Amino acid sequence: MSAAMKKGPLDGVKVTDFTWIGAGSFTTKLLADMGADVVKLETATRPDTLRLMPPFKDKIVGINRSGYFADRNTSKRSLALNMKRPEARALARRMIEQSHVVINNFTPEVMGKFGLGYEDVRQFKPDIVYVAMSLLGATGPEHKYLGYGHMINAMSGLLRLSGHPGREPTGTGTNYPDHIPNPTHAVVALLAALRHLRRTGEGQFVDVAQLEPAVALLGPTVLEWTVNGVDRRRVGNRHDESAPHGVYPVAGDDRWIAIAVTDDAQWAALAETLDQPGWLREARWATPAGRRDDADALDAAIGTATRGCDGPVLMRALQARGVPAGVVQDSLEVINDPQLKHREHWVRLQHPEMGETLYNAPPLHFSATPAWPRRAAPLLGEHTREVCREWLQLDDARIDALIADEVLK
Amino acid sequence: MTDGSTRKPTAALEGVTVLEVPGTLSAYTGKLLADLGARVILVEPRAGTRGRWAPPLIRGADDRDGDASLAFGYYNTSKQSITLDLDHPRGQQVFRRLAATASLVLESERPGTMRRRGLDHAALAASAPALVSVSVTPFGASGPYADYEGEDIVLLALGGLLSLAGFIDSAPTRVWGNQAVLAAAQFAAVGALAALLHAEAHGEGQLVDVAAQQCVVMALENAAQFADLEGTVRKRAGGAVRYAGTGIFPCTDGEVFVMAAGVGEPRFWQNTVAWLRSEGVAAVEEIADDKWRDFRFLATDPAKAVFNRIFAPFAATRSLKYLYHEGQRRGVPIAPMSSPSDLVRNDQLNARGHFTPFEHPSAPPGALMPGAPYAMSQTPAHSGRAPRRGEHTDAVLAAAGFDAGEIKALRAEEVL
Repeated sequence: MSAAMKKGPLDGVKVTDFTWIGAGSFTTKLLADMGADVVKLETATRPDTLRLMPPFKDKIVGINRSGYFADRNTSKRSLALNMKRPEARALARRMIEQSHVVINNFTPEVMGKFGLGYEDVRQFKPDIVYVAMSLLGATGPEHKYLGYGHMINAMSGLLRLSGHPGREPTGTGTNYPDHIPNPTHAVVALLAALRHLRRTGEGQFVDVAQLEPAVALLGPTVLEWTVNGVDRRRVGNRHDESAPHGVYPVAGDDRWIAIAVTDDAQWAALAETLDQPGWLREARWATPAGRRDDADALDAAIGTATRGCDGPVLMRALQARGVPAGVVQDSLEVINDPQLKHREHWVRLQHPEMGETLYNAPPLHFSATPAWPRRAAPLLGEHTREVCREWLQLDDARIDALIADEVLK
Repeated sequence: MTDGSTRKPTAALEGVTVLEVPGTLSAYTGKLLADLGARVILVEPRAGTRGRWAPPLIRGADDRDGDASLAFGYYNTSKQSITLDLDHPRGQQVFRRLAATASLVLESERPGTMRRRGLDHAALAASAPALVSVSVTPFGASGPYADYEGEDIVLLALGGLLSLAGFIDSAPTRVWGNQAVLAAAQFAAVGALAALLHAEAHGEGQLVDVAAQQCVVMALENAAQFADLEGTVRKRAGGAVRYAGTGIFPCTDGEVFVMAAGVGEPRFWQNTVAWLRSEGVAAVEEIADDKWRDFRFLATDPAKAVFNRIFAPFAATRSLKYLYHEGQRRGVPIAPMSSPSDLVRNDQLNARGHFTPFEHPSAPPGALMPGAPYAMSQTPAHSGRAPRRGEHTDAVLAAAGFDAGEIKALRAEEVL
């Protein structure tokens, strides 16, 4: 039986999903790929903006053609629902009544305007895990502020800390908190709350302020300030303990290899692999502290030695001798990476408008209950009829009327 | 509830016991579970796990006993510690007995290590079918890179994230703070809890195999889809300026980060234009027409240059707090650029009580660290202090049914 046919660990969990754009949609993708029944409530009257962000299949702009949107919305079903309409809000309420989880990443007042804030929902559905993922949380003087992953990089300190000293910081070059810190932390809190619900029947409000997971990941750096009084600055590719530790040029146009020497045996193996016995006679490079103190000269020497080497050949030679080394892979190389192929990371799924395109599988291999993209991203409203029948027990005549009336839009 | 008690648990993971064989890739996983109320037991080698000496250290503190590492103190909050030699046959027997009382085994040993000890999932599950094992490794349990060394920067390189960061005129540049290692730890927590819920519902345990390289790939944003759909390989591009309106701008007392175009949201650009107009910035009309709603245009160098020429002098003459609060009040995505020292002074984080005391005899009283990364109304997470090496050995073994004589004998054999 293929992984896509086996039940996931969250089989039977029902999720009413108001999330959109980045972090929220990735959170519910994880749930859906793990087998939860996730219904995405969205509307053509104000589409998820990610649906209109590149890349597009064949570069043709279309609401069902964004690869960015598609990858974040596998395994979900889409219900088109125009929440500006009171009838739509009543239907959303009926969806929530049947759910274990309801989740959004709006600014905090939006769900309240729908009459579906936590205080509203707990009145008719106390046994619910209600997850909110706004930028700064539902409380505090700045709770209404809005923003994106890049802004969390800036506010958390991650951006200023990443890059070369003396140049503008470079961060990760992405909306990084949207991709890992916020989706994973939200799922952890959500599953913990779901366990509590199963054990006690008690629901709760889970408030994930998107700044906070990013700050939590900087714990030791915060402690360097609060305990040692050291306000850390960016260090490029250098490391507090290990040297050499950096990214060095190899043969080809803009080709690089990352090398991290963590002990003296690895240092000797690096020198020998690069055929530089003279390095081992340099007294100043004999210890990690000596190598750290002379990192500029050391890095220059290594760069000169690696420049003519074939990157993958050098990586394999270093790894064979126990030296941590890896070529810097671009997105095409990551797609073709043999280890990721072995892990079946990349999945090609058929989509009605986009055809067969590329998706990330979750990076978790469950031996009994696989997590796997069970279907391609939904067209906007693709499952409106199906969900109205299954979840809301509406008959076709009623569904037709709601479509004609632009409630289901 | 089965005992007829009406008392409700106040910790979400009450009743969950986790055996954690300590390692870099899984330390934060164990912290998340422990802070949510699981009983997480570090099973350390007799000399203490290496993480106890990981930098940064508390300045001036005695590190002989492995209690001076700030990283260890942070990543091991709320855990217990026992010492147990897992390479000794008697130690392996003890571990098997402990595993029989546990819900979850969490480890990040090299592939094959737990099997060599007879402590891999198949061996442990033979007598504990509902047991969940979570194995976190650099590249996964098998495959061509399975035996590769995977330091953080190497995982960022092979996972592709490194290719997106840095200036194009110099080497790709690593993100701060072991983000590849933490990516693995975060996804491992997701896998651990999903498998735990399944085991509690159905009595079926399993192995969850987590690969750090693969976790890093999840951070590539839309880069893989750009390659697949449009044949474009995204490159690193200096700071975060893919679109006009985005970037870091110095102000009178710091720097702000602006995303005037949001992500595909025209109203933010309009809000920015309205703000600049109301503050008397005459040149704003240059960025007011409809072409500024088109992301393809915003991606061009001339568009970026025009925005910067208009916004930079505006920001340079105003304070950070003014720009942040006034911009946000007007619906402009704008944020302060922070240093670590700014975080503990952040009004919003402090109003939410985000920071929590770092309890340590060598740390200044009241020193703070990040607390729970989510606010749960009924089962709030809480960070207790990290354990001293072997602090809970006797209590943990006694609770698992070892009597005083057995414990004494194990200690005499140097297993504990």
